[in-house]
Amino acid sequence: MILKNMKLAVVFMFLLFGAVSAFAADEGAATARQVVEKFQADLIAVMKEGKKLGYAGRYERLKDPVSNSHELTKIARIVVGKEWEKLSEEQQQKLVDVFSRLSIASYAHNFKDYSGESFVFDSEEETTRGGVVVHSHLVIPGDKPVKFDYMLKEKGNSWRIINIIANGVSDLALKRSEYTTILQREGFDTLINKINEKIDNYSKQ
Amino acid sequence: MMNRPHNGKRSVKMQQIFSGMLIGAAITLGGCATTEVVEHVENKIDPYENFNRKIFIFNDGVDNYVAEPISNAYKWITPQFMQTGVFNFFNNLKNVNVVINDVLQAKFAQSAEDTGRLAINTTVGVGGLFDVAKHVGLEQNEEDFDQTLAVWGVPQGSYLVLPFLGPSTARGIPGAVFDTAANPITYVGMPVQLVAMLNARASAEGALKFIDEAALDPYVFTRESFLQWRNNLATDGKSEVSTDIDALGDDPLDDDKDTAGQGVSADADASNKPGFALRLDADTKKIEQVSYSFSSVAQSFDSTAKSFEDAGAKVDELTKSKKYRR
Repeated sequence: MILKNMKLAVVFMFLLFGAVSAFAADEGAATARQVVEKFQADLIAVMKEGKKLGYAGRYERLKDPVSNSHELTKIARIVVGKEWEKLSEEQQQKLVDVFSRLSIASYAHNFKDYSGESFVFDSEEETTRGGVVVHSHLVIPGDKPVKFDYMLKEKGNSWRIINIIANGVSDLALKRSEYTTILQREGFDTLINKINEKIDNYSKQ
Repeated sequence: MMNRPHNGKRSVKMQQIFSGMLIGAAITLGGCATTEVVEHVENKIDPYENFNRKIFIFNDGVDNYVAEPISNAYKWITPQFMQTGVFNFFNNLKNVNVVINDVLQAKFAQSAEDTGRLAINTTVGVGGLFDVAKHVGLEQNEEDFDQTLAVWGVPQGSYLVLPFLGPSTARGIPGAVFDTAANPITYVGMPVQLVAMLNARASAEGALKFIDEAALDPYVFTRESFLQWRNNLATDGKSEVSTDIDALGDDPLDDDKDTAGQGVSADADASNKPGFALRLDADTKKIEQVSYSFSSVAQSFDSTAKSFEDAGAKVDELTKSKKYRR
């Protein structure tokens, strides 16, 4: 009888412990690698249903994965460089808003269907300034693999993607040059108009 | 499938025809590099931006009205397997150049692989029409003289957009001249070269379409992706990522230097005082700037011609003095 009670207690404790640890894993900080892999898995899942979903469906499905894994506010800020300080609060908000939509739209447009692609994790390294870079590549059947390096920074207790370097071309650096050039040459309104135009074009195709 | 921003090739590479022109340009632009226009430099790596933009627009026009329609017609009338065969054929010949550059960069293991690749595809692959080597595990490597010069420590120089040829750099020009010389296609007749051009435009289709779709400012987009792509190739993918990481750690707002941009031309805006370019645009009319860069090119033409004259004069003196000695 006592033995049986003991057994029950042990089982109960195990259950409790198990539940707690599962809870902890769920709530606790996802590592940089987990953030990237979760995002890649979401992306592949959307690609698999890509044709059925259509552009609007893909956009809806990618909205949360993109905004939860990328730190879009900070990216928008870096992308305009020193010009950020010259923008009014309203303009800054607008930029972040439009930029976020563009990011989701470009994913929805560029990853539209599935032909056996898969992401493979290569390695992970810490940078001197407390960031993490996750090296991975996209395997495309019948084509050369594309290298994807994700640069992440810690935000609160989780990691967020700040930059993606595809085959050595840094998305952030590219956008930064473009955006600062347009801001300097043509101004804020033109920039916003051009971004909106891109989002429109993405949605049409 | 996803589109990839491969390279910034903006127009068909008509290297063969223009190699003569290139040599001329190389001499001229070498002159440009010495006559620096400090006060008008907006971007260290792209000091001739206004001039380059004109050429870029011209090339874009040529592409839209000539190269693209012809390329589309080629793609329409040619079955996919033939297009692949044509691509493989020219790609295989390019490997002669790849092997030479492997050796020049002291990549001996890779040169053995690439020689094997060339041999297998030329024989088993029926003169290069089939890429058999890929299935044996020999991937195509990208090597050219520009990368070799980079490995040898030659600085990249300014970004240049060449008429018909598209993006390049001061170092890319002599590189392209050597590449042309090392490509067997250079020495065969016109119809083959024409097909080579069609093939080049057709294979650049994906990249060009991506630029059209993604670029807010196609000129800057092409420049940045071209420079980053070239840098990535020259360093075999090593340096770019590491510099990227460190630079990105900085909050750009707290830092005087332009760190987050850090691409190849990152130091570009860093040299730029805040608002400098804006003020420039307000103060000077665009046309003036353009004419300025035109005149600076003309100036360097002059100085090059002058240095030739000087050299000529020196040779004359030498021969004279020799005569006197006799």
